Parts: sequence; structure tokens; C-alpha cells
Amino acid sequence: MSRLANKEEQKTRKKSEPFHWLYMLLLVTAIQIISGGTVLTQIQEAQLEVLAVFGSFLVVEWLYFVLARNLAGQRSTELEIIAFLLSGFGLVTVASVYPNYALKQFIAILIGLGAFVILLALMRNTEVVNALHIPVAVGCVGLLALNLMLAKVHNGALNWINVGGISIQPSEIVKIGFIFVGAATLEKLQSARSLTSYLVFSLGCVGALFLMRDFGTALIFFCTFMVMAFMRSGDIKTIGLIGAGAVLGAGLIVYFKPYVAKRFKAYRHVWEYMNDSGFQQTRVLIYSASGGLFGLGIGNGRLRKVYASTTDLIFGVICEEWGMIVAFCVVLSFAFVAVYALRLARHARSTVYAIAAVASAALLLVQLSLNVFGVTDLLPLTGVTLPFISRGGTSMICSWALFAFIKSADIKTYPKLEIQMEEKS
Amino acid sequence: MNTLTKRAYVLLGIIAAFLVGLVLLAVSFFLHGGTWATSRANGHLYSGGQITNAGRILDRNGVVLAQSVNGKRKFHSDAEMRKATLHAVGDQYGYIACGAHTVCRDTLIGYNRVEGIFRLVSEGEGNDITLTIDAKLNKLAYQALSGRKGCVGVYNYKTGEILCNVSAPSYDPTNKPADIETNSKYEGVYLNRLLNGLFTPGSTFKLVTSTCAIDNIPDIGSRTFSCSGSFTAPGGGKVICNGRHGTVSFGKALTKSCNSAFSAIGIELGRDKLTKTVNALGLCESYNVSGVRTAKGRFDLSKAAAIDVGWAAIGQYTTLMNPLNMMMLAGAIAGGGATPIPYFVRSTISDTVGSLKTTNRMSAQTAATLRSMMRDNVVNNYGDQKFPGMSFGGKTGTAQMNGEKSHAWFVGASMDANFPYAIVVVVQNGGGGSDVAVPIASKVMKALKG
Repeated sequence: MSRLANKEEQKTRKKSEPFHWLYMLLLVTAIQIISGGTVLTQIQEAQLEVLAVFGSFLVVEWLYFVLARNLAGQRSTELEIIAFLLSGFGLVTVASVYPNYALKQFIAILIGLGAFVILLALMRNTEVVNALHIPVAVGCVGLLALNLMLAKVHNGALNWINVGGISIQPSEIVKIGFIFVGAATLEKLQSARSLTSYLVFSLGCVGALFLMRDFGTALIFFCTFMVMAFMRSGDIKTIGLIGAGAVLGAGLIVYFKPYVAKRFKAYRHVWEYMNDSGFQQTRVLIYSASGGLFGLGIGNGRLRKVYASTTDLIFGVICEEWGMIVAFCVVLSFAFVAVYALRLARHARSTVYAIAAVASAALLLVQLSLNVFGVTDLLPLTGVTLPFISRGGTSMICSWALFAFIKSADIKTYPKLEIQMEEKS
Repeated sequence: MNTLTKRAYVLLGIIAAFLVGLVLLAVSFFLHGGTWATSRANGHLYSGGQITNAGRILDRNGVVLAQSVNGKRKFHSDAEMRKATLHAVGDQYGYIACGAHTVCRDTLIGYNRVEGIFRLVSEGEGNDITLTIDAKLNKLAYQALSGRKGCVGVYNYKTGEILCNVSAPSYDPTNKPADIETNSKYEGVYLNRLLNGLFTPGSTFKLVTSTCAIDNIPDIGSRTFSCSGSFTAPGGGKVICNGRHGTVSFGKALTKSCNSAFSAIGIELGRDKLTKTVNALGLCESYNVSGVRTAKGRFDLSKAAAIDVGWAAIGQYTTLMNPLNMMMLAGAIAGGGATPIPYFVRSTISDTVGSLKTTNRMSAQTAATLRSMMRDNVVNNYGDQKFPGMSFGGKTGTAQMNGEKSHAWFVGASMDANFPYAIVVVVQNGGGGSDVAVPIASKVMKALKG
């Protein structure tokens, strides 16, 4: 390569990555060391174990970036920076409340990272995606059916199954399949038959979630479906019909299911029901306001003692103990990711990747909104998790996988493919 | 590819909606954070419904009336003092809605939008609050009521500071009586009768009728009225007088509290003018007294016959007045026609509480006429020795209640600019104003004069 070409390449590299990855990683590491160190001084039990977990997390983080940059030839790693930043933050927050849970959460991050890498590899070729989409669709429906048969009632929702002492939430895994199947099917949507079979698949997923009474997740699926359908069809009539049908269905659910109606009764009236159906929301508001902009300090909060503090209510815990500035930065980083996904989708090499990236970003934002605005009573409380942050393994794996969909839309993710394509053109 | 690229912008819509939500969230925290953080469900502040950590509450002389010691709320060591200051200070559970514990709780716990309640949680201290009341004076007034229901209020009509804010019945917040909800002697105990009570005003209302007469009947000063022990209204019906006063001037009519004369004046003025005066005096308005909304007086002559107007002119009929507002009337008369809105919390943080907002109630000339009439009342009727060296003027009221003992009223003010205090005393079903309310006012004002 001539020196000129080399310079050219350096220029584009600068353009595509405005911040040098190493500086970003050092900054993220500094944040993690400070927050992790503070948590370590605050917790009363399992300090050694938590220290080991935090240390291993940092090792894995650095290992990933060194390998990705040098062995896998990754030239843009902004998404991973954010994924590690968010998972690390979730890890320290969860560990600060339940030190004994730190190891489990760390293992979930490892599995998530693994899922991220595997999914990136699978998404490399559209042929593979096409070949896999029918088995994945069958697997998803099967998983939900299994869930319906085995589910334990959890918070009035039947969305957990127990496998050898580990409780998993199949709907989180199905989220990954839902986008995978959707993107793959919609790319080659030619015949009415494939449209029908895709609609049947989608309605099957959402319907199963209704049967499980997991209204929040059903809503997330529905919104994601709408985004994907819009991306592909462009026929307003079809969307209108689908939308009207779904809204009607949701309305009937609200009308018929006293459970959902009861949950929504407190919406915008949480202070009137502050000791029953408005309990969680009012506690989040009370303690978030108590924290002010800078928080009361890790371990000084009271929301941590409220049920579901590290899952559904973790946004409130962050507000109270870390302060509103940190809490808002955390959720704003998802908006950044969405903008990033939009940019990638516009230059995606094929429809599959554009749809997958946009749908993943939309899913994350919808779920984030349902969580953050649900616990603060701007939206009805539906009991969904905060991606990357909330305690829980399947939710963590799903979050990483969705990031893989976004990253797969970036041609730079596949350096060899990029060279091939450049050669072709 | 091109349409797809465009459609990807649907994501921008979702991002925008999300950001709008975040802005809404930030705005609602900015607007309501104080209310949320001070909720009784906040475990940082309350335990078992009781406020635990908060700043101290002091009286104007620095006497500590409430403070937090080891996460427990402690009140003044003297039980009588605790009862006398209960309605101003409030209780640890928030039953007393108009007390400083409730009204000023965001200040007490030291909430602000930047720090939240960080200082309280980390250092265990909120902000102290100084009240304008004189705790000793409150105790004296409470004891003077000697177990009867009613209220005593004293304020400085130049500055608006309330020195005495006493309501009875009261209770000891550290030993709340078990029968408080059932025993009739505690009826309405959580209510501050001074700020939120409404009572038939009786003859104290003659000050209002007088104001109306001075403003509307040019020769009122030279007019005479005849009293034969009762007054018969043009449309029929009789108002009984408290005596047989013969021929009286306007001034003497007030001094004698002659019902015959005032009923006649009231009917002559008519309902529109009387209503206009009542409204101009702000008697049917609610005032913000350190964050407590006072009760609005009630004066409705829309369905009144002539005889009813006659009764209304002497403070009967359906009329109800708020004691604090009547005290403000006395203050306005003494102060030359205007009065500041009273307050009982001296803020340590900002001047928003207790800022000097005045309300104009009458012309300086009308006020001067009323001052001399009220002064004449004290000198020639109740006795100047009851308020020595204060140039005191006032008016009693004995509000007749159907089948019950009368309410005893006294409103008055010192006309001395160097001692600018006005007082109201109401003893619910206490009897005659002169016999029951004046001695209490006398005791309190003498103690204040020192």
C-alpha cells in the first residue's frame, strides 16, 4: 500500500470514530473503578467475592477490546463501550444492594457477551440468516408454548420457567428470535403467503404473552412489530389494519382482564393508591426526589428495601443513591445508541440489517420508556426491566443480543466482507 | 434501499418521544419534587407515621418548641406550653394541618431541588424554623381560656407578625389522649379556630355596619336613633335590644351596642351596600397565612327579608366570620385603613413566607372615625384600666346561638403607634363578650405590654 493510501485510510478511520477507543475505554474503566470501589467500601458482606467479580469484569472488558481490535480487526467499538459501561453500572448497582448476587450478574454478562459474539458471526451472511429463520421461528413458538405449560405464576404474570434451579424468562430470548425472524422474513417478502405466515408468527408471540398476562412484554413486541412492518411494507392500509386490530385486541384485554384493569387503575392516580397498586410508583417518586441531582450516596437509599428494587425499580434506586444526573446519563445513552443505529441502518448493506438494527433500537427504547416512565407514573406500570441494568440473566443476554443486531448493520464489523464489497465496486 | 433509508427515520420519532418523556420527567421532579420527598411514606423522614429527623421549631425569643433528638421528635418540656403552641407548631403525625410541622415540612427537612434531602440523611439536620409567636404569651392565653373552646389571636398590625396563635381545645402531642376521637371535649381539636374557624360574629359585626354607614350616610355623625328595647322592621318582625337606650347618637349606639339603632341603620343601608362593604373589607376572602389558607367568612343577604337585614347588621342571621379576619379588621382600623396579611413563620431561607403584603380595607378617614368610636367603647364601657397605657379601642360581641350559650367575642387594638397590636378573642358558647372575652383580652394585652 502506498503512503498516500495509508494516509487516506487513517483519515477515514478518524472520521468514523470521533473518539479514540483507548481513551474511551480508559474513561469507562476509570468510572467503573471509582463506582466499583465506592460500592466495595459500602457493602457489609461478600466483599472479597464482589472484589473478585469486579476485577474479573475489568479483565474481560479489556480482553474483549484488545482481541476485538487486534485479532478480529474491529475498527469501531462504540457500541461495546456503551454495552460494557451499562452492564458494569448494572453490576455495581445490583452488587451494592445484593452483594451475593454479583457473581450471577457477572455470569449473565459473560453469557450476554458470548451471545453478542455468536450472533455477530451468524449475521455475517444473509444466506445463514435465511436458512435459520424458520427453525428459529419454530423454536420461539415452541419456547413460548413450553412457557405456557410450565410457567410459574410470578407477580400475576406467567412468564418464568425454572430449569434446574435457574429461573429463565423465555420471552426475553424470544425477543431476539422475533427480530431475527422478522428481519429475515421481511427482506424477502414477496408472496401473500409469506406475509400471512409472518403475521401468524407475530400474533402467536404476542398472543402467548397475553395468555401469560405479561402485558408489558406483549406491548414491546407489538411496538417492535409495528416498526418492522413499517420498515418493510410501506402500505399504509396494511399497517392501519394491523394496528387497528391490535389496538382493538389490547382494548379488549383491558376490558376483560381485571388484572390489567387493576394495574392501570392507579395510573396518574398513584398517590390515591399509594399503599396498594400505586405503592411502587410513589416510592420511586418519593425516593428519587429525595436523592436530588447528586444522590444520597451508595447504600444510603431506602428504595433498595422496596420489593423489585433491583429489577423493575432500579431506575429509582439509581436516582436516589447516585443522583438524577447519573440516572439521566444512563438512560440518555440508549438514545445515543438509537441515533447510532439509525446511522448504521441508512448505510446497511441489505434490508435485513437495516430492519434488525432499527427494530432492536426501537425495542430497547420502548422497553426503556415503559420501565422509566412506568415507575414514575408517566406511563402505566407494566413491570418490564431496564436493559443492561436490571438484575436478571435473560434480560441481560437479550440486551447484548440486540446490540449485536445493531452492530451487524455496520459493514466495518466484517472487515473481509468490506474488502470484498469494495473490490466489487 | 432509498425508501428503506427514509423509513429508518421512524426511529427518530421514537427517540424524540423518549426525549420528550425525559423532559416531562425532569419538569415534574422540578415542580413536585418537594411534595414527593416530604411525603409521609418517606422512610428517611417518617417512621410509623411520625416525623423523625427535621430541623427545630423556635418561638420569637428562641424558645425551642420542637426538635429531633436521636430520631425522635421532642417538644417543649412544659405540657401546658405544648398544648398552647400545638396549633402553631403542629404535631409529629401531621394531624394538625395548619401547624409548622406540616406547612413548612420541606424547609424543616431541608429539601432543595439540587441536593434533595442529602443534608438531612448525611448529617441528620434540616433547617430550623423560627415562628413569630411568643410561646409564653400563648401559654397565658391558653390558660386564660381555662378549658373552654375558642381562640386567641394577637398580631402586630404594622408588621403582620402573629404573636399569639392559640386554639382550644388542644392536646399534648407527646401524650395524645386515647379518647380524642370520641370525647366531646375534643370536638374539632385538630382545627385551628383562629385561622380556620367560623363563628357567628354578634355585635363585633357592628364595626362592619358602622364602616358601611360612615361611607354611605353623610350625616351619620349627627343622626340620632331611638331605642325602646326592641326594633320593628318595616316588613314586620322584631329585633330585641340588650337594653332600653332611649335616644342615642351613632357613636353612643356603638358604645351601648344598641341593636335597635344598628338594625335600623342596616335596613336603611340595605343589602347591596352592606354586602359591598363586607367584600371591600375582605371578610369573605381567604388569606394565605404562612401557607395556611384561612376560612372565608359567610355573608349572604340574597334571600334576606328586611328583618333579616336588620339581624345581619348586628352580626346575626346566617353570617359567619373568621376570628383572624376580624382581628385584621381591628388592625386595619388602628393602622389607618390597611393591614399587612398576618403570618406566624419567620422564614430562615427566603422571604417568601411572611413577606409584607398589605390589603387596603377602608379609607383613612373612615378608620379614624372608627378608632375614636372603639376607643370610646373601652373608655366608657369596658374600662380603660383593663388596657392601661395602651390607648386601647375595641368591640365585644355576644353572638346568640339557637338553644345554646352565646359565643363571647372581643376584637380590639391599641391605637398607640408604638404598641401596634390587635387582638381577637372568641370563647365558643362562653357567654357575654364583656364578662368572658374582655378579661381574657385584658390579661393577654397586659402581659404583652409587660
